[in-house]
Amino acid sequence: MAAFILRRLLLLPPMLLAASLLIFLLLHLGPSDPAMDYLRLSQVPPTPQALEETRRLLGLDRPLMVQYLDWLGGALRLDFGVSYATQRPVLPVLLHYLPATLQLAGIALVLTLGISILLGMWAARHRNKLPDQAVRTLAFVGVSMPNFWLGFLLVLLFSVQLGWLPPMGRGSWAHLVMPAIAISLMSLSINARLLRASMLEVARQRHVTYARLRGLPERRVERSHVLRNALLPIITATGMHIGELIGGTLIIETIFGWPGVGRYAVSAIFNRDYPVIQCFTLLMVTIFVLCNLIVDIVYAWADPRIRLSAEGVE
Amino acid sequence: MRPFRAALSLMLAASLGLSATFMTIPSAAQERLNFSWPSNVGALNPHLYSPNQMFAQAMVFEPLVRYQADGQVVPWLAESWEVSDDGRTYTFQLREDVSFSNGEPFDAAAVVANIEAILANRERHAWLELANQIQGAEVVSEHVFRLQLGEPYYPLLQELALPRPFRFIAPSQFVEGGTKEGIEAPIGTGPWVLSDTRMGERDLFVRNESYWGAAPAFDEIDVKVIGDPNTRAIAFETGEIDLIYGAEGPISPDTFERFRAMGMYTAELSEPMRTNALALNSNRGPTADRAVRLAINHAVDKDTLIDSVLYGTQRRADTLFSPNVPYADIGLEAYAFDPQRASELLEEAGWQLASGSRIRQRNGEELMIELVFVGNDAVAKSMSEVIQADLGRVGIGVRLIGEEESSVYARQRDGRFGMIFNRTWGAPYDPHAFVSGMRAPSHADYQAQLGMPDKETLDERIGEVLLTTDEAQRQERYEWILTRLHDEAIYLPLTYITAIGVARPELGPMPFGAMASEVPFDQLKPEAR
Repeated sequence: MAAFILRRLLLLPPMLLAASLLIFLLLHLGPSDPAMDYLRLSQVPPTPQALEETRRLLGLDRPLMVQYLDWLGGALRLDFGVSYATQRPVLPVLLHYLPATLQLAGIALVLTLGISILLGMWAARHRNKLPDQAVRTLAFVGVSMPNFWLGFLLVLLFSVQLGWLPPMGRGSWAHLVMPAIAISLMSLSINARLLRASMLEVARQRHVTYARLRGLPERRVERSHVLRNALLPIITATGMHIGELIGGTLIIETIFGWPGVGRYAVSAIFNRDYPVIQCFTLLMVTIFVLCNLIVDIVYAWADPRIRLSAEGVE
Repeated sequence: MRPFRAALSLMLAASLGLSATFMTIPSAAQERLNFSWPSNVGALNPHLYSPNQMFAQAMVFEPLVRYQADGQVVPWLAESWEVSDDGRTYTFQLREDVSFSNGEPFDAAAVVANIEAILANRERHAWLELANQIQGAEVVSEHVFRLQLGEPYYPLLQELALPRPFRFIAPSQFVEGGTKEGIEAPIGTGPWVLSDTRMGERDLFVRNESYWGAAPAFDEIDVKVIGDPNTRAIAFETGEIDLIYGAEGPISPDTFERFRAMGMYTAELSEPMRTNALALNSNRGPTADRAVRLAINHAVDKDTLIDSVLYGTQRRADTLFSPNVPYADIGLEAYAFDPQRASELLEEAGWQLASGSRIRQRNGEELMIELVFVGNDAVAKSMSEVIQADLGRVGIGVRLIGEEESSVYARQRDGRFGMIFNRTWGAPYDPHAFVSGMRAPSHADYQAQLGMPDKETLDERIGEVLLTTDEAQRQERYEWILTRLHDEAIYLPLTYITAIGVARPELGPMPFGAMASEVPFDQLKPEAR
């Protein structure tokens, strides 16, 4: 198991290198000019002289390869350069915003798992009856609804109409409710349907019938024999949902004025703030890879067949 | 079954309980004004650009002279000034009752130190002609200083009024003897003091208790970081912020219209701040024909354009500069919306409509014009489509070209356009800085004017107008320049861009600053609370 984890961790540096080169090229080979955006933000007319001066200021006047190697050299020392727009070092600022995003994505993940497991079990237990249909409808709606739209609907109802929840900002738990729901509804819906299908599938298998024949109480059959096995695909799916949740924070943080990396990244994209976009991408790649690693470890732990085969036991 | 039901109802109850706890949205303290801005205000170095936000720089730092909405420049930190006969030396008498918010005296030495700090970074300010014109500053006495110019540059006072760079920070806050490398703290003479910054959340300003001028009505201004215009609108509706203000689309035009129609808020437009126009290329393609340019001016229904695309949030522009711009109130006659007249002009010039064709031709040349706009600018795109439809009705074909901002700029520079969006710079740069830019080949204006028979004379007159010390001659030169541009129909003026202000009625009448980059917090006079 340790070797497995180590192998996966060793894969991270080359992945980051490839991602950094890719994003660097994508950004710099396009027709856009960050100097233009800097002048727009500064409300200075973009005269050729001002553009030239700004390119020099931002270090964009150097050859592309030099820019990349210079950036890479810095990145190896965890110095990701200075933001064009805010003129602050990139990494400390991203790390400043990161806890807020992790909090939001973490709560969203808890909501996703907690609610989807309850709903999935409920639906599976009452297959083709009202609860099942209700869950399926909810899942259909949840999957179809873009999260930003849901976000605005929630704000309209709970903040503007009812005045129950604050529409934006961070501070109390109340601030978390709407953004967390908006981010998690889609993953939650997918998960609920997945678990329902998976439970129905497992319930047809022979070991479940055998457990029933042994006279085990129905609740114990469901918990230990159906749910435990049916959860395996959910664990895999969770790895993907983490990506969705973090991706969801980009838009949702902007809508809810949540001071996290997502909103910071959106404004960086808007301003063509290359150093921020590059660092954000790498940060996300790292988080994504680590989360998937954790998911794989949990999967191995939950499924003895995988754990044992990894340890060489036939 | 039961545990799930219980768990579900528990969660429901919990969420309801949670919302009940936070049911009341915290209302602002009586003396605090809540405002919002897309980003933090920055370190507030008065002599640098982004990320320092202009409206905030203008709250903390003050100019020597102030630009008024009527185009007049009035004394501010300088109470009077004298100009030498050759127009190259300005001697300013400073107010004697001003100090920086940390108690340091505001005197001639502080002013000269600031001007030297600005000039030490001259290349960053080169876009502003004044920075190139100032040769030096010297202290004459404790409250008198002298400014030496290379040429008699008349817009000196207008450019001194700008929010940056010619404003003043306490010299004790310089880093390495200047401001180029940063500042210690933003200590100015203005009505507000920056007291707290929380990255990504807010910036808090408190009233400067030792301010020399009239004290503002509010004790504090909390500027929350809100990037999204829809979020800003919701924050306003739910009372998180008290004021929406700005000329750069703080909320979308339809949201503004919604607030105005609701009737429960003050929702107002300022006087024109700058002009949004199309530059018509007199040097290339069908627009090289004056008749085509005139026809375009007659064929576009600006009122409908403003109603449909902009929800009435801007005003119709008939001339390149609105009459409230200095020297621009010269009674030019507008080209009225008159498609019939447009068609006649085209017919007379030989642009004929062949049967079955919707686009006119002359000697085999199609009357097809490229309209260039920044592709991701949704408003410009919609406006372009309306213009395309209007011109199509008189037989002028329009090819829409939406590109990256830098590609659009490259087209401006080398004249690869038939029509291109072009904004004037706004107060206090209009008209002098905008007209001055017409001489630079990199500007769309220069390229668009190249086909004028007297472009050389035009450039000469522009040179003269900036350097003449005779007010009557200046007015006369401006009249000539603006009249020529109008007669040649080099521009299709579309709208005068205005600032918008939305607030609750308790905030009193909505004041508007003379410059789009300033928010007039100190002029807000809330009704008796």
